[in-house]
Amino acid sequence: MFRAHDKERAITNTFIEFVHILKDAGVTISTVELIDMFEALRHINPYEKEIFRQALCTTLIKDYTDIPIFEKCFAEFFEKKSAQKGFDFEIFLHDAHNVSSLTQHPLFNEEYSQEIFDSIDSIIDAAFRNYPDKTPQDIIKLLLEDLESESGAIGQFIFNARSRSREGTIGNADIAEQEGEQGFIKDLIRERIQRRVFERSTGRIIQKREEYLLNRYIYRLTPQEVKEMRDLIKRFGQKLKNRISLRKKKVKHGGIDVKRTLRKNLQYGGTPFKILFKDKKIDRPQLVVLCDISSSVSQYSRFMLLLTYTLQSLFSKVRSFAFISNMVEITHLFREMDPERALNSIFEDTNFTYGWGSNYGHCFNQFIREYSDSLTSKTTVLILGDARNNNQDPGLESFIRIKERCRNLFWLNPDRRHLWSWSDSIAELYLPYCDEMKEVRNFLDLSEFIDKLFIR
Amino acid sequence: MFTDIAHTIRALENQKYICSPEIATTIFLAMKMEKPVLVEGPAGVGKTDLGKCIASALNMDLIRLQCYEGLDEAKALYEWEYAKQLLYTQILKDRLSAILENEKTLSDAVNRLSSEEDVFFSERFLIPRPILQAITNKKPTLLLIDEIDKSDSEFEAFLLEVLSDFQVSIPEIGTIKAERKPFVLLTSNNAREMSDALKRRCLHLYINFPSRELEERIVALKVPECSSDLIRQLVKAVHKIRELPMKKEPSISETLDWAKALALLGCEVLKEDVAISTLNFLLKYEKDIELVKKNRKEIFVH
Repeated sequence: MFRAHDKERAITNTFIEFVHILKDAGVTISTVELIDMFEALRHINPYEKEIFRQALCTTLIKDYTDIPIFEKCFAEFFEKKSAQKGFDFEIFLHDAHNVSSLTQHPLFNEEYSQEIFDSIDSIIDAAFRNYPDKTPQDIIKLLLEDLESESGAIGQFIFNARSRSREGTIGNADIAEQEGEQGFIKDLIRERIQRRVFERSTGRIIQKREEYLLNRYIYRLTPQEVKEMRDLIKRFGQKLKNRISLRKKKVKHGGIDVKRTLRKNLQYGGTPFKILFKDKKIDRPQLVVLCDISSSVSQYSRFMLLLTYTLQSLFSKVRSFAFISNMVEITHLFREMDPERALNSIFEDTNFTYGWGSNYGHCFNQFIREYSDSLTSKTTVLILGDARNNNQDPGLESFIRIKERCRNLFWLNPDRRHLWSWSDSIAELYLPYCDEMKEVRNFLDLSEFIDKLFIR
Repeated sequence: MFTDIAHTIRALENQKYICSPEIATTIFLAMKMEKPVLVEGPAGVGKTDLGKCIASALNMDLIRLQCYEGLDEAKALYEWEYAKQLLYTQILKDRLSAILENEKTLSDAVNRLSSEEDVFFSERFLIPRPILQAITNKKPTLLLIDEIDKSDSEFEAFLLEVLSDFQVSIPEIGTIKAERKPFVLLTSNNAREMSDALKRRCLHLYINFPSRELEERIVALKVPECSSDLIRQLVKAVHKIRELPMKKEPSISETLDWAKALALLGCEVLKEDVAISTLNFLLKYEKDIELVKKNRKEIFVH
């Protein structure tokens, strides 16, 4: 319901800003979708909040796992602005038109201030590009300092603007008038910075939050964060699963299917017009996960168990084991309980300790002895641990036997690369027998690894 | 064509389909903008029903294409009727030799014959499959492409031309363009992710399990023999069950089954023991039933 009038540009810009916020938050939006959004807005009544929101959502968001992000951005952008009343399109329109609170000022000139805003916006965008790690508050501070200093980019800009206006209408204005004008321009700029930085940082904050959670050591999370994390893992796991199944489908077909080809071509008098191919069997990944939960990896162990849990929920054929100096199968625990309760019951269980500290050798021996039925020529074995064996027997013989009896063996090591084989770690000893040993410290690393696992 | 969003909701309600404002908005917009809709969501929330109800609400022809692994062009777009072509060639043998009689050299004969080729590659020998049918249909048409995620990604590529331009290119004939653009609805159960190209061409609609209020209305509409107390209590229980870590969450259709069963048993209110013994209407896995039994105290409180 937008009429074509000269203020339309302000509204268009505001919507484009919203799309930028979504992009900053990590949603991919193409130009086609942007055009669709404007087209859709023409057909609906924007004063009804639910309908307005759905019109934006249905045209912009194409991946349902992004819907929670969309909702957060929508709340930040459209609902917070209109204060305590929730969403009100009237206020939103008013905001979009009212580019500044200083429009009533005698010196205000619409054309001229738009020029200033455009230049200031590009300076702010540059600041965001140049200081990706700075918080919005820092950036505001930085820009305001720049504004006062006269020598920075904004100072220069004001200087230029002033000298230009001096050449123009105000030929021989007195000093007081000049200073008044300068003060006004500064006020204008100051307000613009606050506003623009807020808008630019909204999406970024949402994405930062996700990155922060994904990169955080599990044991440091507060209960509130754990809840947030669980939603994130669910979303993330779904994405991973979708990606994997897309890849599975891309497997090409197998050889010629003689039986089906003959049958099909009977209708053409037996001439093989159409060749039919066998479908290639895609074997589902069979995973065996061995997870070290000893004290040397205590800061990671919850995280690693969560990894194991995620893996088990992604693939149907997964067997999970946890060990310190004794190995225990935990597949059924994860199958029956939600991750938190399962984790707690694992740590309350005392079956893991046999002597002191982690003992990889003993565990590998025990695995071969008791659980070797889980190994077939199709199994991929994943070991999560730091290989700190407390100077005990490495059990290399059993380790090699595990390797021989499975298809792939990967070791995910939470230690940094240069710490492998440092102190009591014997990672280098196991390394030659692994298909790959990889540094995995957070969820992002894991997702990369799983991606690679299915390219092979 | 729906005139506005309120009309969309009303018209679908007349077809016994209760939809949220979100669903109505997307459907209304898609019709206005002549764009396909990709509907995603868990199994059993009424994705396919939505298509059927829109078709009957607007008195459109419904053409349904069920996708499966291995579905190809020949079964979805069009197929040449080779057997018929062969048969016609056989029957017309004499006519053909008469035409070719006057040609002296072999290449002249071939040239003559190829000028008649159009006869054999005309729409007469074309079997239209669902997508071509939808495009050539003179009446308003709703094309329902069901469970697109079950098809191969190659098939998705065939669809792109149809979805963006509403046309089909047949090499031997040329391009067949829709005179009347069909309304296209694609449903997906998220078995795999759709390609970005496909998503860009569609509006996206995610249907989740309905809110309690909405589900109560659905049950009341579809199972009128249920008392309002029973509806309120059983929907409340279903929503609590959905919060548990289920292998398969109960869908709307299973809620309806359960409601019907309870109504048949003559329940006026939801009693814990009856509820437990009829859980198999709602849940399809033994483990899920066990889990609900374990949590019975929290689920069946009034």
